[in-house]
Amino acid sequence: MPTASTSFFGWVAFLLQKYGMLFLRGTGMTLLVALTGTAFGFLIGLLVAIVRATSPMPTLGRRSAAAAVRGALLRAVQLLLAAYIQVFRGTPMIVQAVVIYYGAQYAGMYMDTTFAAIFIISINTGAYMAEIIRGGIFSVDKGQFEAAHAIGMTHWQTMTTVVLPQAIRNILPSVGNELIVNIKDSSVLNVISVSELFFQAKSAAGAYYRYFEVYFIIAVIYLILTLTVSRILRFIEQKMDGPDNYVIHGSQSDSRAEIVVSRENAEEVEKRWNQ
Amino acid sequence: MEPVIEVRGLHKAFGSHEVLKGIDFAASKGEVVCIIGSSGSGKSTLLRCINLLETPDGGAILYHGRDILTDGTINMPKYHAKVGMVFQQFNLFGNMTVLENCMTGQMKVLKRTREESMENAMKYLRKVGMEAYVSAKPRQLSGGQKQRVAIARSLAMDPEVILFDEPTSALDPEMVGEVLSVMQNLAQEGLTMLVVTHEMGFARAVADKVVFMDQGVIAEEGAPAEVLGNPRHERLRSFLRSML
Repeated sequence: MPTASTSFFGWVAFLLQKYGMLFLRGTGMTLLVALTGTAFGFLIGLLVAIVRATSPMPTLGRRSAAAAVRGALLRAVQLLLAAYIQVFRGTPMIVQAVVIYYGAQYAGMYMDTTFAAIFIISINTGAYMAEIIRGGIFSVDKGQFEAAHAIGMTHWQTMTTVVLPQAIRNILPSVGNELIVNIKDSSVLNVISVSELFFQAKSAAGAYYRYFEVYFIIAVIYLILTLTVSRILRFIEQKMDGPDNYVIHGSQSDSRAEIVVSRENAEEVEKRWNQ
Repeated sequence: MEPVIEVRGLHKAFGSHEVLKGIDFAASKGEVVCIIGSSGSGKSTLLRCINLLETPDGGAILYHGRDILTDGTINMPKYHAKVGMVFQQFNLFGNMTVLENCMTGQMKVLKRTREESMENAMKYLRKVGMEAYVSAKPRQLSGGQKQRVAIARSLAMDPEVILFDEPTSALDPEMVGEVLSVMQNLAQEGLTMLVVTHEMGFARAVADKVVFMDQGVIAEEGAPAEVLGNPRHERLRSFLRSML
């Protein structure tokens, strides 16, 4: 048991020893809600962005009542989605958390706090992701859409096979940002007693009235989490870009079977190839 | 001979700017039609209307005698597969390798199996001399190589007609030849081609018919020797002088 004269680091060591497991469990909960919340948020954002980026199909003179109804329905849904984005980007997540959590209780629904945490982070992130992904779709060159339509792909096929893979690669840094924001901002969910890192720290700090030491410890933990996640995301980006080199395949009658080409020597190799 | 593609009274305006002011022309099977004219004359818009990348405001586009704008029984993806397009900016799918670029349309649109698609893709990649680059990504290729892959991608759909929208205009001069020679081979094999081009040498050597467009109308059309060698309109004469 430390005394009044114990140093700052003495306290830190003591608290780590005593509450290490608690912090670890809190870290686990923080990672769980941030990762699943970001993943679900991404899926929500993807759906919302696709619907928002859909334009009513050109009817080419075959204007029918069914097409008119479909067009009106699409516009109504698009309006609703625009409202969703405005509301969830326009209010703080801490407020969304209490309104949804206590609102559900008001309606007689007592949510599990972990479920509530994932739900709130998902729909909050979904609103941001929808705009990020919409931007990603617009960042893909118009020629890619045209080429896909020109070989007969439908809007859906164009999106899933050509546009979204490129859009998602382009927005990966922003998606990573959202994950990092969620790791940090899940701390506000302590207001509805989600047992994440900040919530655990609050109870640990109260036990010995050592606020600075405890919050210093969890600040370091948050920093370690976000730095690690940034590194992992950077690695995934590099993986997605594929190698800078490619292999030239020779025909069977050719002795120069395979040549690895990098961007630097590509022209030279081709010259040799053509001789 | 019945035309494969026929355009009647085609109109298209962007806002108040009328780009096509009533275009009539037809291309028969195996015919190579070169469309020439200064920029802004509506050449590209005409091709883009035939491929429905732009929706025409009036007129008819007949494919084997059926109007694709009004005939509801035409399967649009199949029409697009039958009428291919090659773009000035290549527009290869950036997320796919050369081989995947030539396979995806066959699998998604024509519902061919992976093996069948690959075999067909390889056949056409060999034809354009790009079979060695199957595993390369578009960003690793030169402009001429990209355009040859784009032609193979179009051919892999087994089209009846290919529309070429200034296929060599974005290329460095030394790469124009490799693309034009591929196109010349296709013409000799009997592919129907509509080519918007500034390559007068190609038009003279390969085209069956040359169409000169000026300010949204077809000002002159006929055999290349006649249109290019003995132009009747003053505007065509000055256009050809500016090409030299």
